[in-house]
Amino acid sequence: MSNEIKTMDKSPIVKKKNTDEAVESGLAKLTRERIKNTINQVLQNETGPRFKAYVETCMHCGLCAEACLYFLSNDRDPSYSPAGKVKQTIWEMLDKKGEVSIDFLRRAVHIAHLECNVCKRCSMYCPFGIDIAYLMLMVRRICHKLEITPLYIQDTVNSHSATMNQMWVKEDEWIDTLQWQEEDAREEFENLRIPLDKVGADIMYSVIAPEPKFQAGLIYQMATIMHAAGVNWTMPSTPGWDNSNMAMFTGDNEISGRIARAFYETAARLKVKRVVMGECGHAFRSTYDVGNRWIGWAMPPFEVVHALEFYHELLTSGRIKIAQKYKKTVTLHDPCNVSRGRGLHDMAREITNMLCESFIEMTPNREHNYCCGAGGGVINCGPPYKGERMVNNRVKAEQLKATGAEVLIAPCHNCHSGLEDIIHHYNLNMEVKFLGDIIFETMEKKIYQSGD
Amino acid sequence: MNAFIDFIMGPMVWITFLIFILGLILKIVLILKDVNAREPYIYSYMTLKHSLRSIAAWSIPFFPKSTKQSPVFYGVSYIFHLLLFLVPIFLTAHIVLVNEAFQVSWIALDDSIADILTIMVGLGLVFFMIRRMMVPEVKYLTSCKDYLLILIVALPFITGFIAYHQFFLYRPMVIAHVISGEIMLILIPFSKFSHMIVAPLTRAYMGSEFGNVRHAKDW
Amino acid sequence: MKNKIIFLSFILFLLTAVVAFSNTELERLDNSDFQKPQRPGAVFEHDGHNEMAGIDDCNVCHHVYEGKKLVEDESSEDSSCADCHSLKAVVDNSITLELAYHKRCKNCHFEQNKGPVLCGECHIK
Repeated sequence: MSNEIKTMDKSPIVKKKNTDEAVESGLAKLTRERIKNTINQVLQNETGPRFKAYVETCMHCGLCAEACLYFLSNDRDPSYSPAGKVKQTIWEMLDKKGEVSIDFLRRAVHIAHLECNVCKRCSMYCPFGIDIAYLMLMVRRICHKLEITPLYIQDTVNSHSATMNQMWVKEDEWIDTLQWQEEDAREEFENLRIPLDKVGADIMYSVIAPEPKFQAGLIYQMATIMHAAGVNWTMPSTPGWDNSNMAMFTGDNEISGRIARAFYETAARLKVKRVVMGECGHAFRSTYDVGNRWIGWAMPPFEVVHALEFYHELLTSGRIKIAQKYKKTVTLHDPCNVSRGRGLHDMAREITNMLCESFIEMTPNREHNYCCGAGGGVINCGPPYKGERMVNNRVKAEQLKATGAEVLIAPCHNCHSGLEDIIHHYNLNMEVKFLGDIIFETMEKKIYQSGD
Repeated sequence: MNAFIDFIMGPMVWITFLIFILGLILKIVLILKDVNAREPYIYSYMTLKHSLRSIAAWSIPFFPKSTKQSPVFYGVSYIFHLLLFLVPIFLTAHIVLVNEAFQVSWIALDDSIADILTIMVGLGLVFFMIRRMMVPEVKYLTSCKDYLLILIVALPFITGFIAYHQFFLYRPMVIAHVISGEIMLILIPFSKFSHMIVAPLTRAYMGSEFGNVRHAKDW
Repeated sequence: MKNKIIFLSFILFLLTAVVAFSNTELERLDNSDFQKPQRPGAVFEHDGHNEMAGIDDCNVCHHVYEGKKLVEDESSEDSSCADCHSLKAVVDNSITLELAYHKRCKNCHFEQNKGPVLCGECHIK
């Protein structure tokens, strides 16, 4: 294969699985009794017929392997196949009725948190539609209850718990950041506002905490888009503004539920017609698909729209006009949570074609796109695991390289960060962009008047 | 001896089908009861349309992407599963026996054709077995129980084949054929063979989650 | 020693030959009334069977029915089975020819707990 990329530093990483001090100190505190009780409590009381059906019905056919980025990137090592991961975790927990060793748990944490992005691609390769991502999340739930969740992601959950945002952003810092962006943007658009807590606005715009923390420019961009399109919008100033939800990925369902509730309640308080989410996949999954269930709504209590849908609406209705199409060749990465998770892949293509002159598809694509290798909380486990993540993402790098595109569009924060790592590690000479970046670069920056 | 044969080909067949059918019904009832008790919310996601859409998509040979990626396995698997039902149901000898008991009969396969199809079932099982031994990701998941499942399915076909050709030990072979067939049927509700009815349920649920919530295809 | 082996081989050869050619010598029921028989006609040696089974009355098998009622003391050995039992079930007689043969033999063999009852025990290849 011409696009094959030689794996770097492979042997030391693969042979010795990394760990971190949170995992190790957690493991050191465990007793046999606690391990057994916790595993059995979760598997017996927190699962149901679905879990049972998934475990009992699996015919051990191995077809799911073909779906998994980890399996493919590790030269088809069977221990990385989706069912192989279930065998090394759930099956053994069930076989031994929860009486597993510390070494087993060290391996289980690693598998569930670092060798699976819970992207659900494998469910599309299992003839029976077994939800292996759900089983991996069950393992994470057990790890959470045993307090052996990896350090960095646990820290984001702690932050969620204390501040209702993922990055320890203080309330005044948040408001300050928004006002700072507003001020900057007003140099470009005279009357631009980032309206805070505007009750009854049409739209509440919501971002993830890394935006005010590191990428405030993204808020600036969205503010200009909102302004140019003449949208009646607002952003909340109070906790609940962060739509991310790392607790969802550590199995800390209680905190996950609190986060989602705070988010919905904020939108309810502002009496907005709907919520537009920034270009983040997992946050969308949390508010559109997962958080609502934990709180008890079948579907979100009001319309939750991913940025991609919103852009599509602005572009097709002509509220945003493109001055000049983007010249560089672009390719599009379909994030699991917006394509496989919400079916927005065709819309993403329409937008890309409206914005860009030359669009190259990557293969596979749409629902079948390879995972970015970062999502599902994997990248959030932090630096101790970055080296092996790069090894595990080799096939993704090959897929990207094969497109030959100059710019890689990824409408998801997790994907974005992960893909940047891949591009650096494998020297791919690509630039990663959000759709918002390209809209901002190409749009007519005059203000929309209704009837235009 | 005839009394014993009369038993395994008479009352035991009744018992077998009773366990097989009631077992499957019981299995579904228990699953539904469990769903009602512990996960009733899944009904708010399941729709008939999306359930059937997914099941239908996965029933069309070589339509889902996975089937295109592993065409040999799926090809063998489709034919194997089809023949697994087809051959016993349309076998002349079986129809003759049903006719003797109930005076009901239906169209039968020619014995020579059934013979070839039986060999194909056997080859399918040999393929599954070799795959389990040779393909690393399958071998990794395989335990002796998986081989046992293959054996349980193989026995009625092997013994039936030998008996039909009257190669050797005719009477013991027919007895083994009847008993192994009954064992297979009885085990269906209580073993991984229950994928016969549980797999459509898991597929329906995943199909609904994808179709109804995720607005995406799951094939 | 060598002679012994040759002798045993000869015996074995004979036995094989007997097994291989014995089928042709078997007395079988005439199955020419069936359109496309799937199996060879059932092996049945009339006199030997009846002697062994102790059947003296012809109408045990060669019965006569008047409507749905068995006519006692009458027998039908002068007519062919297919005269009454057709290939497909008809209103007058629901017992097809195939069923008539199978049930006639098997029911009795099950009742007596002896004799062949499995397909290949009569339809010997």
